[in-house]
Amino acid sequence: MVNKTLCSILLIISTIAILACLVINFEAWIVYLVAIIGIPLWVLSIGLLTMAKPRLEDEEERVKEPFTGY
Amino acid sequence: MNLMADILINVIVAFLAGSLLLGLHRKVMARVQKRPGPPIIQHLLHSLKFFFKETSFPKTVSMPFYIGIVFILAAVWVVGVIVGPVAHDSLLILFGVYAVYKIVEHNSGSSSGSPYGKASCVRAVLSAATELPLFAAIVLVYLKTGSMNIGEIISYQAFNGPLAFSIPLAAIMFFLLLLSKSPYSPFGITKDKALISGFETEHFGFLRGFIMFSESISWYVMLWVFLTIFFGPLNAVGYVIGMIIITFITGFINSTTPILNPNHSVMSQITMGAVCFIGTVIMVLI
Repeated sequence: MVNKTLCSILLIISTIAILACLVINFEAWIVYLVAIIGIPLWVLSIGLLTMAKPRLEDEEERVKEPFTGY
Repeated sequence: MNLMADILINVIVAFLAGSLLLGLHRKVMARVQKRPGPPIIQHLLHSLKFFFKETSFPKTVSMPFYIGIVFILAAVWVVGVIVGPVAHDSLLILFGVYAVYKIVEHNSGSSSGSPYGKASCVRAVLSAATELPLFAAIVLVYLKTGSMNIGEIISYQAFNGPLAFSIPLAAIMFFLLLLSKSPYSPFGITKDKALISGFETEHFGFLRGFIMFSESISWYVMLWVFLTIFFGPLNAVGYVIGMIIITFITGFINSTTPILNPNHSVMSQITMGAVCFIGTVIMVLI
């Protein structure tokens, strides 16, 4: 369900954007934009990569109805 | 200091401090109820642990909305950090942040496809009543100080003393918002245990960890704003003591007060908001 390649690309882009703002003094509105989008995107992409996925045989059981998990 | 470094440090501080304060809140509630309770660090550990937990996406969810809404929740509270501790900007933006938070509650519940989430999503619309006391408090602060800019409000208090003493009813109104946002609040109708975990029910594993990350930041930001606009210029120690005291008070209230039903929750908040608003206007005029 989660595309690892896409998550990796988003992680790299957000990391580069945040690092660029740390190194170069951009205008404030650019830094705010990068922070508001980049920080959540960084956390989201790293989380989608680190989360454990269900085993193949359990996958259908996990998604078949809305009352999973909790 | 570099602006991005300033933002990153504040976001990390907000996450760590907010997590510990929410852990403290849970501990206070447990002690009042004569339970040992989890360690104070438990909320922080849970937030981090969930990033590695097994996560799958139920068939009934509306992707990518189901994930997108969690992203938006984090984005709005990063805005909160920027507007508050970093830039000392306008209170109106914070009001907007809180309005978007209500939209997140609503849409998070509806995107999951779960009946519990949907019931919580309907209640999120009702619980928007908490925004009325918040808006009224902001208006009163503006009437008193002539500004909505946090930096200017701090300067005003440096010369005229804390607003909590000159417009105490407005401070109470803002405190009502803090109370309604705190865990296990009597006004927390969107997370009533009859709805399992409300709008968060189907967001588990990593997504729950991400939500907890954002909620820790939100608790810190709201406490910071309350202390800043009502208790004037504070140093770091002042903020720490103030945040711990408010967390204690809300924990005590929440542990001794049952959750209200949705109608009572909305009506009591609107009534208290109206009484405080009229009272403050009278105080300002006199």
